[in-house]
Amino acid sequence: MSGHHISSAKFLWGVAIVLFFLTFLTVAVTWIHIPEPWNVVVAIAIAVVKATIVVAFFMNLWWDSRFNTILLVMSIVFFMILIGITLLDTLFRVDPIPTF
Amino acid sequence: MSETSAETKHPAHLHHHFVDSDQQFESSKMGMWIFLVTEILFFGGLFAAYIVYRAWYPELYLEASQELDAFWGAINTFVLIGSSLTVAMAIRSAQLNQIRGLIINLWITIGLACTFMVIKYFEYAEKLEKGIAPGIYYTYDGLEHEKANIFFSIYYMMTGLHGLHVIIGIGLMLWLVWKAKRGAYHSEYYTPVEITGLYWHLVDVIWIFLFPLLYLID
Amino acid sequence: MSTPEASTTKKVQVRRYKPEENPKEHYLNAEKGVWAWMTTIDHKKIGLLYLGSITFFFFVGGMLALLLRTELLTPAQSFIDADVYNQVFTLHGAIMIFFFLVPSVPAALGNFILPLQLGAKDVAFPRLNLASFYIYTIGTIFTLIAIFTGGIDTGWTFYTPYSTQTGTNVLLMTFGIFILGFSSILTGVNFIVTIHKLRAPGLTWNKLPLNVWALYATSIIQVLATPVLAITLLLLVMERALGIGVFDPSIGGDPVLFQHFFWFYSHPAVYIMIVPGFGVISEVISTFSRKVIFGYWAIALSSLAIAFIGFLVWGHHMFVAGQSSLASMVFSFLTFLVGIPTGIKIFNWLATMYKGSIDMKAPMLYAMVFLFLFTIGGFTGIMLGSLAVDIHLHDTYYVVAHFHYVMMGGMVMALLAGLHYWWPKMFGKMYSEFFARISCVIIFIGFNLAFLPQFVMGSQGMPRRYFNYIDQYQAFHQLSTIGAYIMAVGFVIMAGYMIHSLLRGKPASANPWGSRAMEWQTSSPAPHHNFEHIPVIINGPYDYHKPMSEFQLGIAHSTNGHQSFEKVDVNVKSAEEKA
Ligand SMILES: [Cu+2]
Repeated sequence: MSGHHISSAKFLWGVAIVLFFLTFLTVAVTWIHIPEPWNVVVAIAIAVVKATIVVAFFMNLWWDSRFNTILLVMSIVFFMILIGITLLDTLFRVDPIPTF
Repeated sequence: MSETSAETKHPAHLHHHFVDSDQQFESSKMGMWIFLVTEILFFGGLFAAYIVYRAWYPELYLEASQELDAFWGAINTFVLIGSSLTVAMAIRSAQLNQIRGLIINLWITIGLACTFMVIKYFEYAEKLEKGIAPGIYYTYDGLEHEKANIFFSIYYMMTGLHGLHVIIGIGLMLWLVWKAKRGAYHSEYYTPVEITGLYWHLVDVIWIFLFPLLYLID
Repeated sequence: MSTPEASTTKKVQVRRYKPEENPKEHYLNAEKGVWAWMTTIDHKKIGLLYLGSITFFFFVGGMLALLLRTELLTPAQSFIDADVYNQVFTLHGAIMIFFFLVPSVPAALGNFILPLQLGAKDVAFPRLNLASFYIYTIGTIFTLIAIFTGGIDTGWTFYTPYSTQTGTNVLLMTFGIFILGFSSILTGVNFIVTIHKLRAPGLTWNKLPLNVWALYATSIIQVLATPVLAITLLLLVMERALGIGVFDPSIGGDPVLFQHFFWFYSHPAVYIMIVPGFGVISEVISTFSRKVIFGYWAIALSSLAIAFIGFLVWGHHMFVAGQSSLASMVFSFLTFLVGIPTGIKIFNWLATMYKGSIDMKAPMLYAMVFLFLFTIGGFTGIMLGSLAVDIHLHDTYYVVAHFHYVMMGGMVMALLAGLHYWWPKMFGKMYSEFFARISCVIIFIGFNLAFLPQFVMGSQGMPRRYFNYIDQYQAFHQLSTIGAYIMAVGFVIMAGYMIHSLLRGKPASANPWGSRAMEWQTSSPAPHHNFEHIPVIINGPYDYHKPMSEFQLGIAHSTNGHQSFEKVDVNVKSAEEKA
């Protein structure tokens, strides 16, 4: 039954250790000063990996009904729409903030 | 009250408009996922504000985030991930009908959540003392950027709202402990534990993004 | 959307259940007393509670509108000064949108009809449903307090920087609407889960009534858009309380960002208001044309398409607000796209009526009014969406007229169509068909008289939200005011025959319109648990070429002992999703 997946304790600990390691990694990469846009990319990439792990294995989406995954993806898509189209304005203004 | 589905046995936790426990469980879980969608978009508005201002003033973010202590941020990340683990263990205990394990894991989670809030409290206190307060109460003069207050407004909005979610989570888990002690949950019925767990993991996920975005701008 | 995965076909024994006529026991008398009403978790009663609330707010908002129109009879100030005028139009807008239109069809009609159309006993989370009603109530209380402690004069859009500086009570008002948003979100959550999980045996996605598809699309918008409104209002509250400087230009913020966030909700919100209206119209047109709906999937999927495209067009409200011209061009283009799924719907409805045996009963009459007015509203919307034209028409009465043609001519007419259509199921009484048609015609005439002149004076340059104006517009304004009064007469007549129907209306039969839809296959008023049996669905809801007996099937063994009915075996696809 999809909704009642039971993970073993060992597996849950494994997931947590991976997450701990990635947290350490994301701090550690700031020590080597990656140049400008790439530091953000790396930070976000690690955060996305971590979030995906939490969602898939702690929130059991991996074993869950597909519709719940669709829901999650939908929320991200619509967030992207919000920020994407807003940036279409804010990045391309002649004057960033109209002065009053 | 005309009960039409009298042919099968009717567990106490099953509401009359569902056919069986599975349908009820799956419905509750789907409902929670939809609610999490709204949470993501709720925080999404703040992230959007963050991104817009970061695109306008990259140097502001670089400068202002120096005021945030990455060490304590990282510690808090470990704390929250640890609490996610214990919540997952709590659900596992409920699934295996180990009520004692369920209660212990919930208590550990509550403890970790409180630890998070205590660390957060010290971070806030340290900043407020320096005059780094939100909005017009910002009086700190250690930063040169003229819009430094906006960075901290966004910082306080994001972490404050996140902290509010942590507090709500603590409340929910205290309630779970109380119910669990009265024997409300067992391997056949642990829906509230499951969906509170989902909520708690989402709070964790949001922090996973907040941490690098606020603390780790080097 | 996610089709039922691994749908299994199983055999069930069914028999026909004819709905009982004039039932002695029904949902209205199942529990008695005020307390039972206040604590009910019956979706039908909660629907009626919403219906009562929105009727009240429609009355309040309508009175405010009449006040505005009366002031506008003469070019100079007559009896309201400018500040009061600002407050009154703000309240008219905010009340009509947040308290009436948003909950009208989804929360009031939707709550009542959705589980009935699914053959379910209730919505998925009945207690949450009651909670959303009380959250709505708490939101309205906050708003009322705001009105009596300083009012609000920002317009319903709460634009910064004015909303951060005005002396009126923006804080409480926005907080009230913030709370209201959660009611809307929870209703959306409830409906999505209900539609996914509580469909009767055999009710697969391709047999869902179009009203359910529309409510599904609406719920998706509610769930995705409302949280952004919530965070926007929260930021606005913080802006006022702490001066966080995100939106307020005087402390370094960007007011246009507020408009982005606000319209990210508020443009989709007009689809929260109109899409469920589309659902009602689909039901009414099919029933009163006695014909299978033309283009079932086109109508169903165009609802979802509107829901999606509706999220991409919000910047058409900001063409002159200072956003980048690139964004304006993209938004203008995307706005035109919304016309496509809407046009698809209109054509499919017309095709449904073609060669149908049309019965011009009151609900159908309102549906016709809807088609006429909404088409005008839609086309003028396309004009406003085109970049160059909008520079001229922006913030004029043209916009006001467009919005009222869409919202009042579209949504309110759809609501009235639905109300007249489902009235017998709600109360088990019929209303006077004669007076219903009279009032429909009066409202139609009054509406056009009120708002057609506004298109003209708007295109001639009359700005919106002004409490006085130059003499050349007086004729238009007076026509408009007369129209508003005529409309009011229509609504008074409606209130008259509706109350008469409640008190001494003729009892309604279970299926007075001869519809094939499932909500009509139970008695009027509906039983406490909607159906006395578990309904089984083998046909689509609009299959008028099939005999009525095939629409009244239910699982055979849940009888009360009568064995004289013939039982049949049917194969049904399991509607319940198991993945
Ligand atoms: Cu719009």
